[in-house]
Amino acid sequence: MRYAAGVDVGSTQTKAVIMQDDGKERKMIATALVDTGANVQKAGGNGFAAACKEAGIAAEQVGYVVGTGYGRYKIQFGNTQMTEISCHARGAHFLFPNTRTVIDMGGQDSKAISIGPEGNVLDFVMNDKCAAGTGRFLGNAADVLAMSLDDMGPFSLKGKNPVKITTVCTVFVESDILSYLAQGKKAEDVLSGVNLAIARRTVSLARRVPVEPAITMTGGVSRNVGMVKALEEVLGMTLQISPLAHFAGAIGAAMYALEKVNDSSEAGAVEGAHAANRGN
Amino acid sequence: MATGEKMEYRGQIHQLQKDMMVEWYQKLNESALTGKPPAVSLMISGNCIELLEAFDLLPLYPEVNALQLAIRRQSLEPILIAEEMGYATDNCAYVKADIGAMVKGITPAGGKLPVASLALCNFVGCNVYTKWFEHIAEFQKSPLFMLDVPFLRTDSPSKDDIAYVVRQLHDLVKELEKISGKKFDMDRFREAVRNSAKVEDLWSRIKHLSKKKPSPYDAYFDAISLMGPLYVYRANPRGVHFFEVALKEYEEMVARGQGPLEKEKYRVVLEGPPPYPFFRTFRDMFAKWGACAVASTYSTVGGLWEFGFRHDPAEPFEAIALHMIENNVTNRNYLQRYDQIRKYVDEWEADGLIIHFVKSCRLFSAGQGDMRDYFTKELGIPTLYLESDIEDPRYFSEAQIRNRMDAFFESLGHAPARTAAQLSAGRAGSGIPMVPVQSPKLRVLN
Repeated sequence: MRYAAGVDVGSTQTKAVIMQDDGKERKMIATALVDTGANVQKAGGNGFAAACKEAGIAAEQVGYVVGTGYGRYKIQFGNTQMTEISCHARGAHFLFPNTRTVIDMGGQDSKAISIGPEGNVLDFVMNDKCAAGTGRFLGNAADVLAMSLDDMGPFSLKGKNPVKITTVCTVFVESDILSYLAQGKKAEDVLSGVNLAIARRTVSLARRVPVEPAITMTGGVSRNVGMVKALEEVLGMTLQISPLAHFAGAIGAAMYALEKVNDSSEAGAVEGAHAANRGN
Repeated sequence: MATGEKMEYRGQIHQLQKDMMVEWYQKLNESALTGKPPAVSLMISGNCIELLEAFDLLPLYPEVNALQLAIRRQSLEPILIAEEMGYATDNCAYVKADIGAMVKGITPAGGKLPVASLALCNFVGCNVYTKWFEHIAEFQKSPLFMLDVPFLRTDSPSKDDIAYVVRQLHDLVKELEKISGKKFDMDRFREAVRNSAKVEDLWSRIKHLSKKKPSPYDAYFDAISLMGPLYVYRANPRGVHFFEVALKEYEEMVARGQGPLEKEKYRVVLEGPPPYPFFRTFRDMFAKWGACAVASTYSTVGGLWEFGFRHDPAEPFEAIALHMIENNVTNRNYLQRYDQIRKYVDEWEADGLIIHFVKSCRLFSAGQGDMRDYFTKELGIPTLYLESDIEDPRYFSEAQIRNRMDAFFESLGHAPARTAAQLSAGRAGSGIPMVPVQSPKLRVLN
């Protein structure tokens, strides 16, 4: 029995996944989710330990660990690191093998990835120098409306007349929202307007890579049903979303790790990344 | 991140370049103290160093001063000074760094910089640059000479365009006679042009050496080091000597199968200037992946010689006009730049293209999103698009840029099958369909 782990240290949460290969089939046997907080290194370790506990195995039994996410270089117990772009692509492919485009919306990144039949990255685009169109934008909107992130999605679906959010700045969106509320607009209409504004921005970003079906959405924002609906409307296409979408980066990392455990002589991508990261 | 000092071989030519540039700054200091020789401020794009050489005038490149400040991590202070003076945040950071440094007497290499005896604006393709030279003239009380060089609107310049620039060059000669106190000597001018032609030939041969595998030098980072002597010493016998030494060194490296990196794993083409405040960090991001630039558009800002253009001593004024109008990347039209890059990827057999968008330079960067689309979607060339700035350290987000670079090279590593498929499906080179860029067929209305 072989085990491998993927640890995705994100800006807000750390996700860890354990994969198992019994020689016949590859299976995900555990997931863990912890807040990242200020101590990035500790968050990676905690996530990994929690996933091992969930799987009922000792850390030493894990043959290979791939770290990903912005905190990846701080995962000192891991064997190598890869970007979340490669890992989300591979993770989305694991969850839905028919995936050709990945839209990932996380805490401070939005990205669109065009992928090949094996889950390899063909092209990608990301938001640059601005967090508008990311989870942080929704977080700020939630703060103004004194609402939890989990409640936002279902609540926004009630909006029938979405307001037009003219700003796409994560800071100025707050004053925009307050101004609409002062005018007597309904909170659900404001939220649904926020979703549409983000969706338009994200779709214009995504169209810079070929947006080909099937499209899989990953990242924390995929849990927001209102945002998903807005994206589907603007795209004119449906999105595949797994209940494990939040873990796509960690899953992809674990898949690369498992390849490494299974084939120590592999001269492919993981080895390349490993060699490259030895310089860090 | 490992320190980059040991990550690549840099060769003896780098030391020689450093010595020559230090000497140039010493001459500028001497000029500042004694007024001799007089200095002329001019632009890199299509620079007419040959005319200055004919009068023993010293070139003073505000762009070089700005980049030297940035590479030494001294650019933010003068930028902030310029912003306090009223320059907008999104104004060209080269302009702000240079003006701020001029006002406060900050110099990149110590010593002093002279007041220009003439502010010679030889590139008017950028409106901000024309304002820059107006400001230099205003702040330094220097006379201003504005050369009106038409953009290259067609495949090649019209006779009228050339004659229009040549007439202005004759006017310029009269100004140079005044500030140098010397009579124009056609033989000396021809000699300067002859030196340039020799340098251009050597430089072009160096540019073609990077077709070898591995390339003996990095055609982005190392080429930038060679650009100093190319613009300051091109018309001088010392420039000829420098490029003879450089060519010899690189030919020897080719013979040994040696490149700047321990192992050349990826060959890339670079579009756009580097983020000078993070030059070392940026280079290390390539070295980490074994990526070597085999060609770059930035190294053709001062002149585009690898496709055959040389200054012709038989018609020296016309040669300078042709250099200014047609043979530097910034004065050419955008589709010609596409074609230049396509040739690089194809003939230099590159694995991908990296575009560095400069936040404070709309002239060079506008249209790069479309360029990315053309190379990825039309030609199927893996292309990475990065954003920061040439001069302003505030626009460089290291974690974001590193992430994109790592992802790009990971994806190149994941897709060997795709490259192989392209190789078999495409032409004999790197698998790029040979679809020529549709150059604009515009008619000049007289």
